[in-house]
Amino acid sequence: MKIEEKLSLLNYKTDKSYAHITINPDICSTCPDHFCVFACPANCYTLINGKLNFKYEDCVECGTCDIACSHGSVKWTLPKGDNGVIYKYG
Amino acid sequence: MSEFDVAVIGAGPAGSSAAIRLAQNGMNVLLVERGDPPGTKNVSGAVLWGNELAKVVPDWERSAPVERYVTRKEVAFLTEKSKIAISFSSEELQNSKSGKIIVRGKFDQWLAKKAKDAGAMLVTGVTVDRLAIDNGKVIGIQQDNDVITADAVVVAEGANPRVLINSGLRPKLSDRDVALGIKETIKLPENVINERFNVDSKSGFASEFVLGFLDDGLLSGGFLYTNKDTVSLGIVASLDRLRANGVTHSYDIMGKFEEHPFIKNLIKDGIPDEYAAHLVPEGGISSMPKLYGNGYLVAGDAAAFTFSNGMVLQGINYAITSGILAADTIIENRNNINENTLAKYVDKLRESYVLSDLYNFNGIQNVTWSDFVQKSLPTLAESVMMSLFDEKGMPKKHLRQIVTDAMKSGHMKYSDLITNGYRVIKRM
Repeated sequence: MKIEEKLSLLNYKTDKSYAHITINPDICSTCPDHFCVFACPANCYTLINGKLNFKYEDCVECGTCDIACSHGSVKWTLPKGDNGVIYKYG
Repeated sequence: MSEFDVAVIGAGPAGSSAAIRLAQNGMNVLLVERGDPPGTKNVSGAVLWGNELAKVVPDWERSAPVERYVTRKEVAFLTEKSKIAISFSSEELQNSKSGKIIVRGKFDQWLAKKAKDAGAMLVTGVTVDRLAIDNGKVIGIQQDNDVITADAVVVAEGANPRVLINSGLRPKLSDRDVALGIKETIKLPENVINERFNVDSKSGFASEFVLGFLDDGLLSGGFLYTNKDTVSLGIVASLDRLRANGVTHSYDIMGKFEEHPFIKNLIKDGIPDEYAAHLVPEGGISSMPKLYGNGYLVAGDAAAFTFSNGMVLQGINYAITSGILAADTIIENRNNINENTLAKYVDKLRESYVLSDLYNFNGIQNVTWSDFVQKSLPTLAESVMMSLFDEKGMPKKHLRQIVTDAMKSGHMKYSDLITNGYRVIKRM
């Protein structure tokens, strides 16, 4: 089963007005390792033609990317209110 | 005059246990949880070991959503082609009901309801940003510019302690503080689980795995627990090894675990129903934040109270106990909350098994996350077992010769085996 299919099993209450994680594209464009791409279990960070693409909508709020990024690009906060992933089993 | 005697951040096992104890003792408690309902933001294996829950919910067995009791426990080393396992079943383990397999989505909701029943005010769907601090004293909790005041705050926010970090009360987490846990819940009919794992409808199987078959320097542990009609399957991966590897995606480790021949068979025909990920505190006492301050206490995962020696993974029991001890400290000093009185929380933790376990097994992560335990030992064992059990119509060698040959082919020296073996025994 591909990661995309696994993520499609999840329920989210997406907050369109607030991206709880943001990145600094200037830092990402010169990043030597892009460890976020390999660390994120929800495939929120991908490289498209060598350029970092980030989407917060699939985030499972684990906090791994905040630790993974040692270059200061990731700005990590929790979603506001009860937005974000909703686990059934957890 | 504060709005609440105590504000508790997080309705997981630590927070809800604290809230129950506080409310039972007449305190005016606010329990704030960002998940709605509680449990929808939490991820865990999950086995609750021990009977700590009885201290706050004496008749828990009548209503707690327990999936199954652990009646068979395994620790297994997976190499590419083999599984070497220690399997333990015991009537005594069965009767003591020491291990309770739970689904946190149901369990956390149930425990939070107990806190509400005890008199705590439960507020869900609210994310706390930071502690409200005035003149060095914690005076409550804060979201945006809203402050709710409380005489004391119990921080039980879990493995990713944003409130503590945002409040400047602990540094950001590093690769060594936490590992990444990924879990899948897979649907299987109850009768299939019973047959496949050789259990009945009340009894359950819990197994931890050492995933030595992973290549490219990756280190990871795995787990499998049987729920009522689902199976919890997951991995806990070392972040610094994943970083050093630099080419493997974390979710591919989970994929490799699922595809391992001995796991694939166990989840055959199962329908994946949920994918989840969470940080797992792994650093032990070296990752522990300051456990108290002027007006606040830290409990559960936020305090790094988890423990794994490779044989057992524990945390929910520490969460419950630390929540209760935090509550007791506040109750005993209710008219005089300050840094000195709250410091007694640490004494209580030291007297209990929580800090004793963590200090006793200090440094265990250097053993469980070592190449020796993860790779060398399983490979050696595999080679010895194959020589012992694979009958090829040849004259048999003595065990000592088999071990020597296996070590030679694995480029291992006797001195390495003895030194590393001593380290393992000493720390475990």
